[in-house]
Amino acid sequence: MAGTQDVALSVKDLKTYFYTNNRCNKAVNGVSFEIRKGKTLCIVGESGCGKSVTASTIMQLLPKLSRIEQGQITYHSDDGDVNIEQLDRDGKEMRAIRGSEIAMIFQDPMTALNPVYTIGFQIGESLKYHTDLSRSEIRAKTIDLLRDMGISLPEMRVDDYPHSYSGGMRQRAMIAMAMSCNPKILIADEPTTALDVTIQSQIFELMEKLKTENETAIMLITHDMGVVAELADDVAVMYMGNIVEAGTVDQVLRYPVHPYTRALLESIPVLGRGRDQDIQPIAGSTPDPYDRPKGCQFAPRCKFRVDACDVMPDEVTYNETHRVMCWRYQEFLPDAE
Amino acid sequence: MLTYVIRRILILIPMLLTISFLVYTALELTPGDAVSALINPEVASRLSDAQFAELREAYGLNKPFIVRYGIWLSNVMQGNFGHSLAGGVPISTIFLDRLPATLELSLVALLFSTVLGCILGTYSALKRGSITDSSLTVVGMIGVSIPEFFFGLVALLIFALNLGWLPVGGRLLPGYETIWDRVPHIIMPAMVLSLMMTAGVMRYARSSMLDALTREFITTARSKGLPEWRINLLHGFRVALTPVIVLIGFRLPLLIGGSVIIEQVFQWPGIGNEFIGAVRGSDYPLVMMIALFSVFAVLMASLIIDVLTALIDPRVRLS
Repeated sequence: MAGTQDVALSVKDLKTYFYTNNRCNKAVNGVSFEIRKGKTLCIVGESGCGKSVTASTIMQLLPKLSRIEQGQITYHSDDGDVNIEQLDRDGKEMRAIRGSEIAMIFQDPMTALNPVYTIGFQIGESLKYHTDLSRSEIRAKTIDLLRDMGISLPEMRVDDYPHSYSGGMRQRAMIAMAMSCNPKILIADEPTTALDVTIQSQIFELMEKLKTENETAIMLITHDMGVVAELADDVAVMYMGNIVEAGTVDQVLRYPVHPYTRALLESIPVLGRGRDQDIQPIAGSTPDPYDRPKGCQFAPRCKFRVDACDVMPDEVTYNETHRVMCWRYQEFLPDAE
Repeated sequence: MLTYVIRRILILIPMLLTISFLVYTALELTPGDAVSALINPEVASRLSDAQFAELREAYGLNKPFIVRYGIWLSNVMQGNFGHSLAGGVPISTIFLDRLPATLELSLVALLFSTVLGCILGTYSALKRGSITDSSLTVVGMIGVSIPEFFFGLVALLIFALNLGWLPVGGRLLPGYETIWDRVPHIIMPAMVLSLMMTAGVMRYARSSMLDALTREFITTARSKGLPEWRINLLHGFRVALTPVIVLIGFRLPLLIGGSVIIEQVFQWPGIGNEFIGAVRGSDYPLVMMIALFSVFAVLMASLIIDVLTALIDPRVRLS
């Protein structure tokens, strides 16, 4: 584990449950991870595995019918540690962190911006609440931010409404908004899913630049393994509310030890290999969150299932940074093969 | 923006022409004419057919339908609204006399219902599922489903007759002139007139607000660390307002139609009251002018609403 001074945020044994129709969905069921300063942590997994819920839990942006059941979210700020899970959801302390210390960008920039206010107004709002800048200083800073994000003619575009921006520009504007107060942590929830591929790479370049220039820690949620390989420093693979495998990008992508990670990597088509390439889809589908398997959540779909899998395996940290939740991980270790 | 407004105004002209023709036709089809309405039946029984024909000729009622419409239309366009058949008063004079009262009543009711409806609806949405929300829903349902004249009569019974807090009717007592003397007179008719619309606006504002609050930009606003009031009012309500304004625009005709009945119930000396008298007396020219005026008012209202929506929602300005 890295020393605490390098860590921007640590999450320990976090459980977030949703309560609907008197049933409980254990969306996030005991996850632990750390986001390092100036590094990118990618969280990958199928739809519904709890990636986005984890992100909203950190920001306390959960819907009303859900709550943090257990665990700690510790934000290591410059003025000491803050335990986010203990803060009032929309209280003053939480609001002071949101947007200023931890900022977030969302999946769909088309809907994430308010259609009736100008881009400048919406970026300025953050500055208005988190800084002491005057009106004209806010405007100047907003224009600077837009220029930094690569928007041409920012002096004019600042007064435009979101509908006259393209998708890529809106996401840039969202990033400008998120970065306006120099947050220590940027949470990006599938920021390019709604954009096309050329724009995607531009957005990622921008995020990479911010990371190196401002030492911002980035938590990137994605289901695109290509993005992971390109951007991540650390990777956590989630399945049904658990992190089944986590480690540095090299460890997880090169030497995956969890059957789910391996299956995930085998199921990706590779561009250029032609149409007859050997793609192995993962058999079955994700279980109903209200009717979960008893032990290991992946067991029913797993090729390596044994009887021991009826009991949930513990998380094993088998070397300094690489950890896994599987009974048979030893068989997949790089030196075992 | 200016071309948008001008284009909207130009569209009004063919609309007004069509409607004026329809109004004229509809009135032509009603049984009886001005002559049979004006003359006392006892006198009428003693008049010969020739005398009737003479009277009809005097009033210009024997000309073909299209010709009469043409004459009437060209007069109206020259600002000559004609005379009321009953009493021969110029219709423009009647309008000048009665219009301010109707406008006063409608505007107060409109203002009241919009403001109150928006406040209650937004509050209801923010406190969704609470006792206040449920009771407002019930009150809203009652408000929407019971006709205004019934409320009018009940209000008269309670506040004017039993409690004696407010005057029974009229606009102003003789000898009183200040604005404050008018207030007690207008409270009841305006409240009753706006009741149904308040309930409608409230229900609509509630659902529009609930819809707005689930949109993603609300989460964005929250993720910026803004206080709740700002998220709800600046981001939520502002977006929720556009459909509400459109609804109010659609309801304006109701307000004008409703004021005909309410003016009658409260003896409010407005156009609506005059209208009922004119219909009873088969006072063609007056009925037509009032009908045409109502149409004009509704069209103007929709124009204002269109301009307002364009001002509030930047996306409308483009198209």
